[in-house]
Amino acid sequence: MTDGRIVKIGIISFAHMHAHSYASCLKKLPNVEFVGIADDEPARAKEMAKRYGVKAFAKYEDMLAAEIDAVIVTSENANHRRHVVMAAQSEKHAMCEKPLATTKQDAEAIVEVCKRSGVKLMMAFPCRFHPAFKRLKESVAAGDLGKLLAMKGANQGQCPGGWFVDKKLSGGGAVIDHTVYLVDLMRCLTGAEPARIYAEIDNRMFGQDFEDTGIISVDFTNNVFATIDSSWSRPKSYPHWGNVNLDVIGAQGVARMEMFAQKIDVFSNKTGKHTYEYWGDDADLALVESFANSIAHDKPVAITGEDGVKALEVAMAAYESANLREMIDLYA
Amino acid sequence: MQRVAVVGAGTMGRVHSEAYAQMPNAELVAICDTKQEAAEELAARYSVKAFTTAKLLLAGVEFDVIDVSTPTNTHLEYIKAASAAGKQICCEKPLARTTGQALEAVRVCEEAGVTLFVAHVLRWFPEYRKLHDLIEAGAVGKPVVVRTSRCSAYPRGTDDWFADMKRSGGVALDMIIHDYDWLRWCFGKVRRVYARGLYESNIPLTDYALVTLRFESGVIAHVEGNWARPGGFVATVEVAGTQGLLSFSNTESVPLTIELKARGEETVGVTVPESPVSQNPYYMELEHFINCLEEGRKPDVSAQDGLEAVRIGEAALRSIGTCRPVALA
Repeated sequence: MTDGRIVKIGIISFAHMHAHSYASCLKKLPNVEFVGIADDEPARAKEMAKRYGVKAFAKYEDMLAAEIDAVIVTSENANHRRHVVMAAQSEKHAMCEKPLATTKQDAEAIVEVCKRSGVKLMMAFPCRFHPAFKRLKESVAAGDLGKLLAMKGANQGQCPGGWFVDKKLSGGGAVIDHTVYLVDLMRCLTGAEPARIYAEIDNRMFGQDFEDTGIISVDFTNNVFATIDSSWSRPKSYPHWGNVNLDVIGAQGVARMEMFAQKIDVFSNKTGKHTYEYWGDDADLALVESFANSIAHDKPVAITGEDGVKALEVAMAAYESANLREMIDLYA
Repeated sequence: MQRVAVVGAGTMGRVHSEAYAQMPNAELVAICDTKQEAAEELAARYSVKAFTTAKLLLAGVEFDVIDVSTPTNTHLEYIKAASAAGKQICCEKPLARTTGQALEAVRVCEEAGVTLFVAHVLRWFPEYRKLHDLIEAGAVGKPVVVRTSRCSAYPRGTDDWFADMKRSGGVALDMIIHDYDWLRWCFGKVRRVYARGLYESNIPLTDYALVTLRFESGVIAHVEGNWARPGGFVATVEVAGTQGLLSFSNTESVPLTIELKARGEETVGVTVPESPVSQNPYYMELEHFINCLEEGRKPDVSAQDGLEAVRIGEAALRSIGTCRPVALA
């Protein structure tokens, strides 16, 4: 979309690797000006600013004081609240990396502050923008599958390491990292809310103090039941970082989405392994474009902070369920 | 030489009859089915006697082994009658519709001193055996999280007995008991079961279940049972461990696909994927059972194995009903 004004956006922190993808998206979009980068690590800010040809700000406050409309927050999960609140208080819109926060209180506080400050808050759930999911949603909405009965989701990946396994910064391991994507897709598909959660969670893959394995059962308010595998169960030797798969079971048919199935198999003597090269649409680009357009045209964001809270709530209930070895009823 | 009578002339009864008929150390001697026509038709194929009740069968022909391939809820009555008559028993999976029935089946066979073999055929499917052997050889290090899927259209048995939950137990018992048994074979005892499913939802020709198993070893397994597909069969297994990942899908294990253009009056052609193997798993399974009887060995699947698989299935059905995890003692 090229109408509307130019939207000026900066990135807060390159702690999360998705910042790289968002940065390239900002560079690609014609109605966006990628203004600059601020980071807790000034050296990283400088390096990334150089790589993307934008300005490095020594402090977040400096970038927020500059002439920008919005920020993308890709800091560690535990820092999302601080960074989004800073942006909101400077009257800048924000798109926040998932999960919205590491506690429900923080997540709700983020939503509240943005509301009070009158700024837009968008959740970075790019999977909603993938053409395979959009087509699935269209088919389900048209009633092709009949009444929806069940869903089976998997977002299995390699362990990202780094701060993702430092619970002070991440809030948890695989479950908080991966559950939220599928919860969001399932909410989007069914229009229903998660009601009952049960989870088996463990750390036997790496034997560290973070969970690496999680099978989460979710019953929705419309009685559709689902499971989500959020395990970091792809070994280093796996051809790809992981997957986002969703099976939908209806009374009149079934559907299966494998979001990253559009790939070339690469067998390389250089790397000594088999890898996948994805060639499908870039959902991140559609996500960032949507965020920019909501600002340019002053329209509501496509994925709200409340969506982020709802997704996080399931991850939190999963931890509680695994601890208690009981089903958690969010409406009890 | 083991003389075998097959009870149940449905799909599995036919498969088992054919296997015994081909086996050098077995002799198929009778077919029994409550439907006289069905019994006679299958019996005629092998020129053997046909019966309509266990009583008539036991009185009418001499034999050593009974093969019970009837609807699940009727297994126990045949097992009781046959064990009382001192017959060796092969029972199609699931051993019984309920844990109570399965316990009694195990007890009566123990008391009568007869072998009760439960036909958990997956252990003879080469892909599932290879997966088992790879796991045992440490191919993935310590197993951590496992996923299995078994998906087909809704099965249509005689009188649509699969659709009667009181008889079949639905997909969470009848279908994925295959996977429960295979998982037990690979990962040992199950500690806890949580399941969601359409059991007793009464949606025509549709059943579906997602079952989470927690093993004593710590392994977490996710088992999908799907009788909601329009057609076709899909089976997948994934085993993730500390050192790697095993992944199998029958849809990607297709060494031969024959595609035929439409001919004559047909308007569309057909595509038939095939995965031929020289050894029929059902034959190998029953051959193992017969050989064990001949050689006085214990079969690789015990009556207890059959019982434990039913226990998991029943726990899954209870969990579906209560929305609570079920602990297995």
